[in-house]
Amino acid sequence: MATTALTPAATYRSALYEWVTTTDHKKIGILYLVNSFVFFFIGGILALGVRSQLAVPDNKLFSPDLYNQLFTMHASLMLFLFIIPILAGFANYVVPLQIGAPDMAFPRINALSFWMLPLAGIIMLAGFLVPGGAAAEGWTSYSPLAQAKYSGVGTDLWLVAVTLIGTSSILGSVNFLVTIFKMRAPGMTMFRLPILVWTALVTSVLVLMATPVLTSALIMLFIDRNYGGAFFDPANGGNAVLWQNIFRFYSHPAVYIMILIVMGIVSEVLPVFSRKPLFGYKAFVFATAGIGALGFSVWAHHMFTTGTVYLPFFSFMTFLIAVPTGVKMFNWIATLFRGQLTFATPLLFALGFLTMFLIGGINGAFSAAVPVDFALHDTYWVVAHLHYVLFGGSVFGVFAGVYYWFPKMSGRMLNETLGKIHFLLVFIGFNVTFFPMHLLGLEGMPRRIATYASTAGWNQLNLLATIGSLIIAASAVPFLWNVLISLRSGEPAGDDPWEGNTLEWATTSPPPPYNFDHLPEIRSERPVFDARHGRTGGHGGQS
Amino acid sequence: MPITRNKRTRPAALVLSLLLALVAAGCASQFPQLYPPNASTSQGAEVRTLYDIVFVLAVVIFLAVEGAIIYAVVRYRRKPDDADLPPQTHGNNLVEIIWTIIPTIIVVYLFVVSWQALNTVEAKSDHPGVRVKAIAERFAWSFAYLGDDGTTPLFTTDAQGHGVFGTMVVPVGEPIHVTLHSPDVIHAFYVPKFLFKRDVNPGPVENNFDFTVDAGDVGQTFRGQCAELCGAGHGGMTFEVKAVTRAEFDTWLKQQIDAAKKAPPASGSPPAGSPPGGSPPAAGPVIELAAQNLAFDKATLQAPADKPFQIHFVNKDNATQHNVQIKNPDGTVAFSGDLVTGPAEANYNAPALKAGSYPFSCVVHPAMTGTITVQ
Repeated sequence: MATTALTPAATYRSALYEWVTTTDHKKIGILYLVNSFVFFFIGGILALGVRSQLAVPDNKLFSPDLYNQLFTMHASLMLFLFIIPILAGFANYVVPLQIGAPDMAFPRINALSFWMLPLAGIIMLAGFLVPGGAAAEGWTSYSPLAQAKYSGVGTDLWLVAVTLIGTSSILGSVNFLVTIFKMRAPGMTMFRLPILVWTALVTSVLVLMATPVLTSALIMLFIDRNYGGAFFDPANGGNAVLWQNIFRFYSHPAVYIMILIVMGIVSEVLPVFSRKPLFGYKAFVFATAGIGALGFSVWAHHMFTTGTVYLPFFSFMTFLIAVPTGVKMFNWIATLFRGQLTFATPLLFALGFLTMFLIGGINGAFSAAVPVDFALHDTYWVVAHLHYVLFGGSVFGVFAGVYYWFPKMSGRMLNETLGKIHFLLVFIGFNVTFFPMHLLGLEGMPRRIATYASTAGWNQLNLLATIGSLIIAASAVPFLWNVLISLRSGEPAGDDPWEGNTLEWATTSPPPPYNFDHLPEIRSERPVFDARHGRTGGHGGQS
Repeated sequence: MPITRNKRTRPAALVLSLLLALVAAGCASQFPQLYPPNASTSQGAEVRTLYDIVFVLAVVIFLAVEGAIIYAVVRYRRKPDDADLPPQTHGNNLVEIIWTIIPTIIVVYLFVVSWQALNTVEAKSDHPGVRVKAIAERFAWSFAYLGDDGTTPLFTTDAQGHGVFGTMVVPVGEPIHVTLHSPDVIHAFYVPKFLFKRDVNPGPVENNFDFTVDAGDVGQTFRGQCAELCGAGHGGMTFEVKAVTRAEFDTWLKQQIDAAKKAPPASGSPPAGSPPGGSPPAAGPVIELAAQNLAFDKATLQAPADKPFQIHFVNKDNATQHNVQIKNPDGTVAFSGDLVTGPAEANYNAPALKAGSYPFSCVVHPAMTGTITVQ
């Protein structure tokens, strides 16, 4: 076991200088993670505002326009400044290590991609300080509501911020693609890539194809608002639904941008903690690529009630995309079967992901059945569905990744007891918050309403959801405390605390600049496993 | 460093008991079911049947997959004597093909049944019993009843006292044809008991659909609500659909048409002079009201009884929307002015009110309130 060299204490000034000017993919990765968690907590506070307002009927805690700003900024921060960037952060840290590369292909562009994000976040949040407040049209910013007639400067700031974030993503995706295609270590063939790398690859292709479409839509809306354009304004000859088509052409693939790398994380964690290879590696790769491709043909399932789309086509494609997703679920469960499971916190969160994402997939099938979607669209059912996918799915997977790679990043283990308390609180809080929303949706509560009458019959379920949100908020305490005390005095991790499979576990924790002094032989998708056990067997035909 | 093996918890047991506790809590209280309400339209009944099919499949799949996860978690825990590696299974083509084909069959089946249901739900009658144009305008609904040609308006419910503001009256047992019109942003027509919604798109092409209320639901009133975010007043943009017999409907419609002929609805900005004919002047006395720093400058206003009046409303708050909404003593909306983004002003034509005390507020800022004394 190589000794772990903790970074020697440096002066405050030089450390700051180092972090601001670094082009090391590991430091940039950590910057991504920290920055994303900052926005996660701000977004969480906004969510608590939303839940406080809805806790009781006829509540006047926030005025409706402030309430609309709260949920709009909650969603915008969570999607654009938390989930998408934090996954880019994990990929930034892990992908070069897992393919045996010294860094990303374009380290300076990598730094540029990151530094656009805090800037964008500040611009977006600055909306709260301008007259008329922040953007309040929902994160989907549907026109004509987002036209200058109906909204203030906050919406312009929102458009600028999302454009910056999109540019950051596009630069990042080019960087990942070049890195994965050109910088793999000798022996690291495409079918020996760890699944996380595959998901980062497919995600980058999605970003490259979808995000420029969003950027063009944002610029068109900016022109509508400020320079007399009328792309999306029917009052001046434009088309309101056109915005939805362009926006959704981005935002559905974006759902996969927000989940594929999470699936990659789970596909790293499950094999390690069950001491087995991932079941059906190639099927998993093809399913990932299949989801990526099909993801571009389902955008209008967000628009079934607009009366402007050919419903059977989008219904069929939406049902069809459940198949590769289902295949992945079966592969994960088959990975657990006949394994030897160790219930460390990363595995708990990965199992939480399986369970919650299962519900998020199944309750999505209801909306694929078009007539059922007529009943459920834009109700709290959809709010439940998207949170089961993006919180129960993505956020649980993110925490699995945090607990899994924290020892590699810091050289110290996180405390397992605090980790389990954290998991338990999130798991309970999440379900108490979001499960009742299914019922609220069935009872007819539309989303995005600032308050509701006490006679509508939604009082108890809303109060329950608000109580759940407080439990989720409480779960931040053991998590943050754990990170703080573990950074100071956590158990030293060593190179390979989990008996990992992939190359990041073949170097020190944290890894030195440029990552590796020497690499083990790469003869399968699990080179470190092979080195540990003296085996060379890979998945079908790859040995 | 080896993995710590002595600290073993049993998450599966924990999770399971948690789920059980949730279910038990659910059954104990008066928890709503995991079903939508029984539909009150024939189209909605189709949706409900389809929902039930999807629901049964969803429950079966959930129990099977979740059961497999819990089984694996309980059965394959690492034991202290597990030193050797478990069998390193990389995959199995046969089972992978099987578990690709089975979900494919399920989703194709779901697609076919939902397509069939869709055709029924979307079907339109050649001879609908009533044609209504639902007009969604920030933040209120009005309903224009159309002649048999589908275009000529017979009369429109509005805030000036025609029909019941925000209420759509329809006969049961016959297809009602609805077209959806919006002069501003996107709204959505949503009645939970119909299990149906449809967007109201601004622009030249208007959405339309048919619905038929079950004969058994005569006398019922169904709550409806805008389901597409349309601004600050979105949550309050409600309406009602009242189901009556054909005879009651005919009587009601005739009354409304006659009333509308007698008193044409006030137009947007009537001339200040006295209009021809014996009808009362549309622009009565003018009341001054201003909004500044998220407050009205007056808490009390005086208005004459049984006479329409005008409110000259000045919004002094930069880039902030305000309006004036007057409510009847029973809580229903008597008048709702267009939103004004400050700094700007507007002339509101309020309807004639009976003597009494009426609260008014800004829909965007419910804390901005006042009272109109009508005498």
